[in-house]
Amino acid sequence: MSWIGRLLRRRAMERDLDKELRFHLDEEARRHTAVGVDPREAERRARIALGGLEQTKESTRDARGTRWLEDIGSDVRYAVRALRRTPVFTASAILTLAVGIGANTAVFNLTDAVLLRTLPVLRPNELVAVKRVGLGDDNYRFSHPSYERLRHAMPDTTAMAAMSSTLRMWAMIGDAPEATIGQLVSGEWFGVLGVRPAMGRLIDPSDNRDLGGHPVAVLSHAYWDRRFGRSPSVIGSTLRVNGVALTVIGVAAPRFFGMKPGDDVDLYAPLVMQHELRYQSNASVDNADGSKPWIPQIGIAWLTVIARAAPDQRAQVESRLERDFRGALTDEVASREEQVRTFRMREHVRLEPAGRGLSDLRKDLGAPMLTLMASVGLVLLIACANLASLLLARTTARSQELSIRASLGARSGRLIRQGFTESLTLALIGGVCSLLVARWGSVALLHLLTSNTNTPSQALQLTFEPRLLAFAFGLSLLVGVLFGVAPALRIGHADLHAVFKTGGRVVGARHGNRFPLGRVLVAGQIALSLALVVLATLFARTLRNFTAIDPGFDQHQVAEARIDVRAAGYAAERLPALNDRLIEAVRAVPRVRSVSVSVTGVATGHMRTSSVEIPGQVHGPEWDGTVQENTVTPAFFETVGLSLMRGRGFTASDATGAPPVAVVSQSMARYFFGTEEAIGRRFSTGDSAIEVIGVVRDARVNTIKDAPPRMAYYPLAQVPSEYPNGIEVRFDGPAVTVIPLIRAAIASVDRALPVREIVTLDELLGRGLREQSLVSQLAGLFSILALLLASIGLYGVMAYTVAQRSTELGVRLALGAKPAEVRGVVLRDTLRIVVIGLVAGAVILIPSLGAVESLVYGVSPRDPATLAAAAALLLLVGTLAGFVPAWRASRIDPARALRAE
Amino acid sequence: MTPNGKSDILQGMLDMLILKAVATEPLHGYAVAQRLRLLSRDRLQVPQGSLYPALHRLENRGWLKGDWADTPTGREAKFYRLTPKGKRQLATEVSQWKELAATIALVLELA
Repeated sequence: MSWIGRLLRRRAMERDLDKELRFHLDEEARRHTAVGVDPREAERRARIALGGLEQTKESTRDARGTRWLEDIGSDVRYAVRALRRTPVFTASAILTLAVGIGANTAVFNLTDAVLLRTLPVLRPNELVAVKRVGLGDDNYRFSHPSYERLRHAMPDTTAMAAMSSTLRMWAMIGDAPEATIGQLVSGEWFGVLGVRPAMGRLIDPSDNRDLGGHPVAVLSHAYWDRRFGRSPSVIGSTLRVNGVALTVIGVAAPRFFGMKPGDDVDLYAPLVMQHELRYQSNASVDNADGSKPWIPQIGIAWLTVIARAAPDQRAQVESRLERDFRGALTDEVASREEQVRTFRMREHVRLEPAGRGLSDLRKDLGAPMLTLMASVGLVLLIACANLASLLLARTTARSQELSIRASLGARSGRLIRQGFTESLTLALIGGVCSLLVARWGSVALLHLLTSNTNTPSQALQLTFEPRLLAFAFGLSLLVGVLFGVAPALRIGHADLHAVFKTGGRVVGARHGNRFPLGRVLVAGQIALSLALVVLATLFARTLRNFTAIDPGFDQHQVAEARIDVRAAGYAAERLPALNDRLIEAVRAVPRVRSVSVSVTGVATGHMRTSSVEIPGQVHGPEWDGTVQENTVTPAFFETVGLSLMRGRGFTASDATGAPPVAVVSQSMARYFFGTEEAIGRRFSTGDSAIEVIGVVRDARVNTIKDAPPRMAYYPLAQVPSEYPNGIEVRFDGPAVTVIPLIRAAIASVDRALPVREIVTLDELLGRGLREQSLVSQLAGLFSILALLLASIGLYGVMAYTVAQRSTELGVRLALGAKPAEVRGVVLRDTLRIVVIGLVAGAVILIPSLGAVESLVYGVSPRDPATLAAAAALLLLVGTLAGFVPAWRASRIDPARALRAE
Repeated sequence: MTPNGKSDILQGMLDMLILKAVATEPLHGYAVAQRLRLLSRDRLQVPQGSLYPALHRLENRGWLKGDWADTPTGREAKFYRLTPKGKRQLATEVSQWKELAATIALVLELA
């Protein structure tokens, strides 16, 4: 019989053992009765000969060899019985654990999805992305001709693929445009990733041959499910996307969400459809025409290139690619002057592991996620300390039971193991309940994190996959051991005989031990709480510092309507008339004071950069001539509240035919013209020279976090083929009443014009602080939890101490000590624990605070005022927690205390 | 579980004697005790308290196999028989014992 079989057949084995020994006793007794002994006497003799039925059974069980396993079963049953006897303790312990472990699991899920988990593709460890390095900021953008050149340098030309950025596209479902996330991919893309179709077929090299000639689309499984109810008839049907009729050829495998966790793609189309689908984003355009198809143009870098290369071949592939990249670079810069050529040729390619996807979230959330993970872990540790204290108290209360068991022959190892079984049972029950909390918590977390996207990303959602379950289970075990170890040690060390001597009142209260285990735990809680309070304060101050930043323009009472004219299929010639009609319609809305149209909008994250040259200026290699651009109608500066420092703004006469003009920001003026007067100077971004006519204030037009960029503004009337993306509206009164009217006004111009959203600039700027506010809110929540737990812990220990010292304190009172003095004794004792905890916490915390350097703004991570305030707060909380026990101590009735002795 | 050299020797001897007792035919626990008493002409009193732990230990090691069967009196009892593995073990133990006994005898003679 195998050990597992024996374990399962435990009951049957017990019955057999019983039967076997019964038979023996009967036979032995029969031998005695046969010679005339009285049956009862015979039975007695038989039992004596056997040496006691129960003892024999016990040693026979030991001989079976699976004793330890059988004991676990009985220990668990015993633990459950013991826990059921104290339902309040058990329920609060399980709740604490469920919340603690659940919060950790939820945060882990997000960290895992963003930072650790690999993509659901074939052999993700082989995936690499090709990165351009050596010129200022590293980037991943290649032109299509350069991509083709690199691909042909690969040992296997099907092992490299290219893709565009993900982009909002408008699919006509019924007669309304609906926002979807689209991505253009090369024919090799699905093959390189090793993604299979769930239905139909995927885009392959035959779909990427003729410019504009392959109007096909592949749907993601999630989109197919969400939008088409998994209807198989979708294959072969036509979907109008950005005005192009695409034939749906297939659905990608379930769970495949694209290359960017947190940025799920709905539909894929071939790269050759770039022009038709009006894809124009995230490109660097150099000496090229963005309004013509991008595929043949070497001056437009817009593709992210990925490849498959086994880790051991990576270096070899990299050097092959580097060789051909030199060639591609030579072509790219062929038309430029010598100086630019030399500069640009300093660029190199590198292969970078991409098996975890290319998430922007990783960059933005990496450090905050790890901080959250650490904070939520600290909260769990504090909760563990509380549970340990509770269990310690419980052990003390049960010391009489334990000593009886010890005197009946239970070995102390056995008792310790039983103590552990109890804490582990609690932890595992808590762990199971924590899955519910984790589920709920991750929904809440995701909601906080992605408040403005319509569908929460598949990649970030919590699924009970093995990895996550393993985390929750492992954490439960760890926690169980952590909070079980102190009580178990107490069981092991308890002077059990003392219990009998004193009637079970003082076990554990080992006199002379000035700082017993319970106090160490509470001091540890204080130390951990200090860390959390300091972090929360730092993050709150960071958030406040960010919100207090003056963006450089008057962002209040301005709305931004984000429109997508390009996707609506307008021909460039119709744009000026459309712009006029939009401005007219929106200006007619009551309470609207001023309206402008712009190409990138404000705080939308859609910036555009160009390289600027000043005729006659020569620059060294450190020169960075890039500026950000926006093209606007004359009312723009007035509408967004951006004040003109010098010169003039645009007027209606700055139109086509008039000399090209620009308004620049102060920092641009300073960078290019130094202390000289900028007004009247000229710069060029390609062919034409543009005259500076005005200088506006520096403003944080992208996000509140980034320093004001060097900006150049052009009049929209001089670049009539530019597609506008934003309508800025300055209004009076509440935004909620004006925004619907703006929406109606836009719809009155063209019902089919896609409006992504209409939001206030306050909100748009606030979105840039979403991570900060998430981190700040959670850290605040965690520190409140920590304070609460620590004060409960402190209160518990002090209440226990007062109960223990009641005789001593009673005697003091009887000898004439004033109640205030007794209170002072207890309070001082409480504060000693707090101070020891604070000192220990500070010693560990201060050197490690450098890790959050990148997460704070406008405050030093080791800001003394923050540290002092946090310490003061903890002292205050400590005093409050110690006050009730102190007050109770001063009310001890000396007579009763003495009688109890 | 406390190490105790004395009981180890006794236990080792008891194991060997039990294996020998059931070598000829399957016996139940009580019969093992009786057989050992008879064979030793009443000179060996098997400690009954140690008998059953020993039987179960030997069964656990695969040297004995226990089966439930009826006794001549019609009651069900657990009969232990020697497994092939047990037979080999018995042979080893017997030869080791003889060697030890001879060695001890030699020492006693010469001393």
